[in-house]
Amino acid sequence: MKPDHILRTRRDFLRTTVLGGALSWTVPAFLSNTFSALQAEAADSATQTATGRDGSILVVLQMAGGNDGLNTVVPFSNDYYHNARPRLAIAPTAVLKINDSIGLHPSLTGFKSLYDGGNLALVQGVGYPNPNRSHFRSTEIWQTASDSERFEKYGWIGKYFDNACPGCDPTVGVSIGNQMPQAFASKTPTGVSLQNPQSYRFISGANGGNTSEQSYRKLNSPDPDPSMDAHAGDTGADANSGGTIGAISGSAPHTGSALDFLERTAMDAQVSSDKILAVSSKVANQATYPQSPLGNSLSLVARLIGGGLPTRIYYVSQGGYDTHTNQINTQQRLLQELGDSVKAFTDDMKAQGNMGRVLVMTFSEFGRRVAENANAGTDHGAAAPMFVVGDKVRSGLLGRYPSLAPEDLLEGDVRYNVDFRSVYAGILEGWLKTPSAPILGRHFQPLLCA
Amino acid sequence: MLKPIDKQKWDFTTAAHLLNRAGFGGTPADIDRLAAMTPEQAVLYLINFELIPDSTPNPDWAKPDPGRADRLMAMRNADPDTRKTMQQEEQRTQRQRSIELKHWWLERMANGPRPLQEKMTLFWHGHFATSEQKVRDAYLMWKQNELFREHATGNWLQLLTAVAKDPAMLVWLDQAQSRKEHPNENFAREVMELFTLGEGHYTEKDVTEGARALTGWSYDNRDEQFVERPRFRDDGVKTFLGRTGDLTGEDVLEQIVAQPQAARFISAKLWNYFAGQPPSDELVTALADRFRRSGMNFKPLLAAIFYSEEFYSDSIVRNQVKSPVQWLVGSSRVLERDVPGPFISYGLTRSLGQDLFAPPNVKGWDGGLSWINTSNLLARYNYAAFLVEGDTSVLRGLALGPPKGGGGGMQFQNRLDNMHAQSVDVGKLLTVEERSDKDKLLAALERRLIQGTLRDSQKQTLRDYLDGQPMLDRDVVLNTIRLMMSTPEYQLA
Repeated sequence: MKPDHILRTRRDFLRTTVLGGALSWTVPAFLSNTFSALQAEAADSATQTATGRDGSILVVLQMAGGNDGLNTVVPFSNDYYHNARPRLAIAPTAVLKINDSIGLHPSLTGFKSLYDGGNLALVQGVGYPNPNRSHFRSTEIWQTASDSERFEKYGWIGKYFDNACPGCDPTVGVSIGNQMPQAFASKTPTGVSLQNPQSYRFISGANGGNTSEQSYRKLNSPDPDPSMDAHAGDTGADANSGGTIGAISGSAPHTGSALDFLERTAMDAQVSSDKILAVSSKVANQATYPQSPLGNSLSLVARLIGGGLPTRIYYVSQGGYDTHTNQINTQQRLLQELGDSVKAFTDDMKAQGNMGRVLVMTFSEFGRRVAENANAGTDHGAAAPMFVVGDKVRSGLLGRYPSLAPEDLLEGDVRYNVDFRSVYAGILEGWLKTPSAPILGRHFQPLLCA
Repeated sequence: MLKPIDKQKWDFTTAAHLLNRAGFGGTPADIDRLAAMTPEQAVLYLINFELIPDSTPNPDWAKPDPGRADRLMAMRNADPDTRKTMQQEEQRTQRQRSIELKHWWLERMANGPRPLQEKMTLFWHGHFATSEQKVRDAYLMWKQNELFREHATGNWLQLLTAVAKDPAMLVWLDQAQSRKEHPNENFAREVMELFTLGEGHYTEKDVTEGARALTGWSYDNRDEQFVERPRFRDDGVKTFLGRTGDLTGEDVLEQIVAQPQAARFISAKLWNYFAGQPPSDELVTALADRFRRSGMNFKPLLAAIFYSEEFYSDSIVRNQVKSPVQWLVGSSRVLERDVPGPFISYGLTRSLGQDLFAPPNVKGWDGGLSWINTSNLLARYNYAAFLVEGDTSVLRGLALGPPKGGGGGMQFQNRLDNMHAQSVDVGKLLTVEERSDKDKLLAALERRLIQGTLRDSQKQTLRDYLDGQPMLDRDVVLNTIRLMMSTPEYQLA
């Protein structure tokens, strides 16, 4: 289907349903938002709603498995480092030097050029009190921004959605992958997760065909309100009336029966899948991405941004960092993929003219032990660096490099000196322009990196 | 409060409701059988499940492994490379068993003779939410599952004591490592906060004192069993929830269960699980009162719930979102087909948000509306095409890696491609007459799948679909079933 065809049918659909049945309280909450966005799109593609063209965008990049921070941001002149890692230490001549004492892993050429271009902030020694060394639990701590001893139900991104935009278009958060990260867990389910736009849609089965899809659409649409039939046939003057749209907006309550909720979600799913499919196919990437899962994810994110999806937060992940054995080759490959993918993404953003709107933040559930193990690998550790990339970042080194002196270690791991929630707070306040305390549970001194 | 349901209200709809909530739903024939009983008989039939023999065999590896201790020792003493190989072998075995275990349980829910026992086992699994991701031993996960089954409708203190001494729980909440020098508070805290009382009904001091009293309860990794370790035990005086003395773990659990809040907490949670909504304060009081008067045995409480007129009120019937497990098991039942094989069942439940034996955290699954978001609603619609038509193309998004990194996704894709998937047997679901008359077909499917009614516009849509087909053949019938399952209404029970 051609995008404009979808748009037209969708507009027609919205006119007869939202504006028909809209005044009933069961109407999908976000339809009104989508509706105005679509109307704006149709009227003038340069005009977008608040979450559209002008909004700032955060891309969260998870490095799953626990990336070895010491071999990522290398303290190449530190004797403790070389002594602790006879097999794994990276030679001073090989690192991509940032200053006299630290440098980037040799395969992080992508990050080095971003750093040199003033587009990369490197936050050193990030962690949290009483570090947990279980992948499962520590990931959960990062995702929910909780204290080490506390279990939180909702994710920090989910809490951002709950606080900043209840009733938003579900595509305000998009996670690339099969599963919604726990960071997205929220009181009001928001956000979509998709591996690719082809699977985030109703797929007509082998016997289905077009009639099946049409039937699905009707089965999952609210009934037109008979009293509004006269308007349903109109060609659009009423539909464009701002007053009517305003009256609908925000009027849908979140309470109601489970069926109301399901009907709303079914509508959201239908509209957002059409939109994602249309948007992702109409934009072409303007940079060459590595042929890798992360490269594919970021190229899809770039197309969705280019297509004007009203998304504030994208979430992508890269796995494989759990390098207990033969770390050298694995980490080299992963970091190459990381740096090159992010570099390609920023090139794409620049070509689109969207570089000023995006910020990429990396995190990993923990760093690794200072001393290498007997298998030329490293075991689970604690604090590690984070990278923040964007046009408007405070480029350079933030925080300070953790001490590697044996007396300063915590059970063999480096101690954190920046709480990760300070980084979150800085991004929430400085980039997403929202108060961080309601989201993080209490006040953390924001570390402003953008 | 808790007046028995009016016999006049006992019909197909209410019987279907009871079977959905106290079990995993059933075919129209199953429901008719229940509807033909009195409501009292129906409730007793479900509740007195031990009268029905259950001969489900255990997974063949679900028994103590006498060679395990020696293997662990050999692994410890091996050189690094050998150890690595042994560890990988062990992980592979555990992963394989884990997937078998999930399937074994889903099968038992779908086809076992005791639906309420399995439904309660699932409740306890979500309540004492223990994850294989930390326990990493399928045998221990199975053993805990059996414990929940054994105590499914038993006594609260006995269940709680058994859980506190359960190996998987001892590992999961770190009680295994707790000793008097450093009491680990994890279990002591969660047992009150999440399992029995709820926040605000104990103090931080109760947590630390409770943790002291629980020291000595530990886990013997060699025998894979609970063990009391006198050397770990703090035998000093503690004060816990108002009681003072050299308290033991048993004292702690007894003292917890003696709190009036204990009866309220678990009664309210059970009501919410079965009714789909939190109970009013008045209702909690009535339920907790029944529970306490019965000596804190669950059977009388469950009977009171299932027999009450409140349980059948309009705001409760067909107003609960099916959990992914309920969706998969219930769909297999109404479609009269097998639960899909181990890998696919695992993939479906996991991607829909309920990976058995791997709840998201110690709080378990949130349930209710949180089961649904746009992504997994579309996934339910698409997976329906697999369940009904055997269409594996809709499973393509299901890249199935093991939970943490590593390969496996490709393997799964190959399995999928080589799989000979089957569609449901329409001859089992519909009479010849129903298969040849559009109105009868839709009415029969509505009764089977929705157990209520669709909106008129939806019925018209399906009728239009049928009218648009050249003939009413098997494929059209299958697609109609799939479409009816691709509605908001089908997600409710």
